[in-house]
Amino acid sequence: MAEKITAYRFDRLDQTLSQLNKENCSIIAGGTDVMVLHKSRRGVPPKIPNPVIFIDHLSELKRVYQNQKDLHIGACCTYSELLEDPLIPLPLKNAIKTIAAPAIRNRGTLGGNICNASPAGDTLPLLYVYNAKLLLRSVNGDRVVAISDFIQGVRRVGRQHNEILVEIILPSVLEEGSHVVFEKVGNRNADAIAKVGFAGLIRVNDSRVEDVRFAFGAVGPTMVRSVDIEKKLLGKPIPLADSDVAEVVAAFDKIIRPIDDQRSTAIYRKKVALNLLRYFLSSKQYQPN
Amino acid sequence: MNLKDISTSVPKKDHSGKVSGQLAYISDVKVENMVYGVLVRSPIAYGKIKSIQLPNFPEGYEAVGAEQIPGPNVVKIIQEDQPIFANEWVNYIGEPILMLVGKELDILYRLLNEVKIEFDELQAIYTLDDAIQQKSAPGVTMASYEFGENLDVISTIEQGAHKIIEEEYSTGYQEHVYLEPQGMLGIYKDDEIVVQGSMQCLYYIKNALISALACGDDEVRVVQSPTGGGFGGKEEFPSMMACHVAVAANAVKKSVMLVFDRSEDMVVTTKRHPAKIKYRTAIDEEGNILSMCVDVFLDGGANAGLSSVVLQRALLNSAGVYKIPHFHAKGYVLKTNTVPNGAFRGFGAPQSFAGIESHIGHISKLSKLDPLDYKRKYLVKQGDPTITKGQFRDPILMEDMIEDLLNASDFKSKKGEFQRFNQQNLRYKKGIGTSLFLHGCGFTGSGERDHIKATVKLVKSRDDKVLLKISNSDMGQGIYTTLSKIVAQALDLPFDRVLYPDPDTKEVPDSGPTVASRTTMIVGKLLERAAKKLKAQWQPGVEQEVVENYVHREMIPWDEKTFTGDAYPAYSWGVNIVEVEVDTLTGNVKLEKVYANYEVGKVIDDRIMKGQIDGGLAQGLAYGYLEKMTSKEGRIQQKSISDYGPPTSMDVVSIESKVFDNPYADGPYGAKGAGELTLIGGAPAVQAAIEDALQTSFQQIPITPEVIIESL
Ligand SMILES: Cc1cc2nc3c(=O)[nH]c(=O)nc-3n(C[C@H](O)[C@H](O)[C@H](O)COP(=O)(O)OP(=O)(O)OC[C@H]3O[C@@H](n4cnc5c(N)ncnc54)[C@H](O)[C@@H]3O)c2cc1C
Repeated sequence: MAEKITAYRFDRLDQTLSQLNKENCSIIAGGTDVMVLHKSRRGVPPKIPNPVIFIDHLSELKRVYQNQKDLHIGACCTYSELLEDPLIPLPLKNAIKTIAAPAIRNRGTLGGNICNASPAGDTLPLLYVYNAKLLLRSVNGDRVVAISDFIQGVRRVGRQHNEILVEIILPSVLEEGSHVVFEKVGNRNADAIAKVGFAGLIRVNDSRVEDVRFAFGAVGPTMVRSVDIEKKLLGKPIPLADSDVAEVVAAFDKIIRPIDDQRSTAIYRKKVALNLLRYFLSSKQYQPN
Repeated sequence: MNLKDISTSVPKKDHSGKVSGQLAYISDVKVENMVYGVLVRSPIAYGKIKSIQLPNFPEGYEAVGAEQIPGPNVVKIIQEDQPIFANEWVNYIGEPILMLVGKELDILYRLLNEVKIEFDELQAIYTLDDAIQQKSAPGVTMASYEFGENLDVISTIEQGAHKIIEEEYSTGYQEHVYLEPQGMLGIYKDDEIVVQGSMQCLYYIKNALISALACGDDEVRVVQSPTGGGFGGKEEFPSMMACHVAVAANAVKKSVMLVFDRSEDMVVTTKRHPAKIKYRTAIDEEGNILSMCVDVFLDGGANAGLSSVVLQRALLNSAGVYKIPHFHAKGYVLKTNTVPNGAFRGFGAPQSFAGIESHIGHISKLSKLDPLDYKRKYLVKQGDPTITKGQFRDPILMEDMIEDLLNASDFKSKKGEFQRFNQQNLRYKKGIGTSLFLHGCGFTGSGERDHIKATVKLVKSRDDKVLLKISNSDMGQGIYTTLSKIVAQALDLPFDRVLYPDPDTKEVPDSGPTVASRTTMIVGKLLERAAKKLKAQWQPGVEQEVVENYVHREMIPWDEKTFTGDAYPAYSWGVNIVEVEVDTLTGNVKLEKVYANYEVGKVIDDRIMKGQIDGGLAQGLAYGYLEKMTSKEGRIQQKSISDYGPPTSMDVVSIESKVFDNPYADGPYGAKGAGELTLIGGAPAVQAAIEDALQTSFQQIPITPEVIIESL
């Protein structure tokens, strides 16, 4: 006998928000994390503790638009939709192409990747270096938080139960001039969970570092980013001196503490994370992309 | 059917059911009065069961265990060391103890958690290294063989040698990852138990059931349902599941369905044996091999299963495709308290070929000789003896195949091109590697003559259709098509007038299991002969039947005790060349190009052969660098496909392959075996390519990014 569950699917965001305000619900966007999380053994339907509320169809959550130099991405845009959208920056598209395989990319959403807060979420390193801001909405109104404040631990986010993530804002991302890279290290080229993720951003002005940011995925409970370490490089001449590179690598060596698991080893993860960082910093020149 | 060339492809018999998704696999089947079964499994690796406390069962739910087995509590395979339901000792985590049956899986899963079992836990052996240390303790060595040159002779040679090279090589687990997990249905009827499911070997199962149910030949019946991949994983393992559902169906008088989900399947079913292989080779000043000793250790896991036979094949291939002077080998299957290891495409040969190709490659590099030139110097030729004093009787085309592949891959210029690339590129390094290999077709030794004794039957109906009555399974490899084609061609009958119904032991004689690259060569030949016989006595509109029995090719008789004689009637051959690019920052390996030449006698269907080549190579390459399974204190760590990491279409490149004709008199239309061969060369070639890229040596597969990064 299949158990009955309550599921909501409203036409509009405001109705959805008002239901969420009344009742604690499990939000389903693409469902590609939710369904796996609550999966039962063979032959038994998933057991989701709360009523389910679908949001993947809400047009308010599916817009991508430019506001001055900022890019606004609707939380329920699927990966496949983002790959088609001309406004999405190339490095983010490259990251998306490493996620899962086409079928999951047709369902999975950027908002879901953030709210799921997996240490191996593949869009997260880039969103961190883009200084992404998150627009959350509830019946009480809107608030904007930095992604690094929103994600608090493994599968732990600072979302009130009546809130929905509406938009991901990438400030100034449409300004020219930054060189951005993303690297995912997985055990194979599709349907792989990251063993290490790395995103780097650098802007050079007059052969000196004007801005630089890095974030590492899958080497700790959340993305590893350090504004303090980044600051050390501001104003340094390009190409960076070996000693500058070594100093930054050594600083990350201290704060990256990965684990052993069924996918890889702590030693490997750390070494590769630092390799990717060193490689990024050792470039002779940076082409804006 | 009147094909000018039998190799010309035809549409597969089971094509439309599969591509339309209409074909019902066992988990799609529902029968009247059906309940589900779930297995209570051992949570510990080694110990004695002290007590079992069952929960209160709701109505219609019950437990089935050793007491309900009418016959002996063993899964009949070779040795009697595998209980159907463990009731005294448990030997590995996941070993079945009881089956709970009832209508709702949900309730069964809850009841599973409520079964309380107390054990006296004992010190387990978790790793092959531990087992090697304890190899002389009682029960640890499950099988062993030794053969070859006298050790005194070798010792004298070694004393006079310029150098002795010793290497220790290890290979890991490999998981079959058939698309369809294991599943079996026991159908209860008043006068018989019918077992239906995903399988390769109907009569193995039938014999196991006759033993377990202590019943007559006509009281059990085994029917193969569409089988979504096997790779050896459905050779001996399904016998246990069949015993489970049959014993349960017999006990509860209902039909019982047992289907694994992916993670259960990955954790409890057989895998490829992890191996450790030790080489000790004496060479002279020019780098010539004077003698070689090889010790093979296989991790058998907790039960003997087919491990002794796997070890035989590992040993028979321990010298690769080479004629090595003064060769000596010995081997052991050792028991560990881990999930039993079993049959897997290649059956011991992939471990040996990975090892010997690696070792020979390393010797040549030590002597500053080109690996391929060096290997070619030792390549066996027609008429040469085998390492067991048998003989390579048939023509060997390896030299032509190698030359052809060197040209196709532009090998020589690639080498130079890659060297220049590697000097300039700090991050990525390219390399190219080769492998040379063979596969002995059919059962090892005298198995076909003494144990299998295959029989095939053709039945012609009144409307002049011909039905193949054989016990071999199409598990995706395409024998519905190829064997039907052989019969249609021999009878000169349209392809669609030849039918191959799903085998059912009530209808078909025992034509042997679907294993060991034997089906096309052995069963195909019997069918060809049967078809010719039928043609000679063909009477339109009349029901007719012909039967053919296996005839042994005269060879040097195989003696398992001395390990001498012809181990196989025939050999298939292969050459692979692989190009890779290694990312030195991450250790990731990217396949760039894969070239392959094979010789399998005669191809029965080009497209099906290409399927075997592409699939076998993908699996073999992945065995060398990608697929990684580990066991920690007796527990398999990778429980999902993504954690284990078999290649996707994004990982494999298109494979340029060619198959050489070299018809074999005792195969149908000249065909030999092809199914396992294609896997064997993948790992050694990928290893050689990675070594070439990084200018280093590895002593293990898989060469994962973790291994590479540690080596840099
Ligand atoms: C086979 C497979 C492969 C995968 N491969 C990858 C991979 O390579 N890389 C990777 O990073 N991930 C991968 N994933 C995980 C998953 O696809 C992604 O994390 C995806 O982005 C999740 O999006 P979704 O819309 O499906 O999330 P859902 O499952 O719908 O939701 C995830 C979580 O976020 C919450 N949520 C979703 N949207 C909102 C919102 N707008 N406001 C508030 N809360 C919300 C949900 O309540 C839930 O807790 C894979 C998953 C599968 C099944």
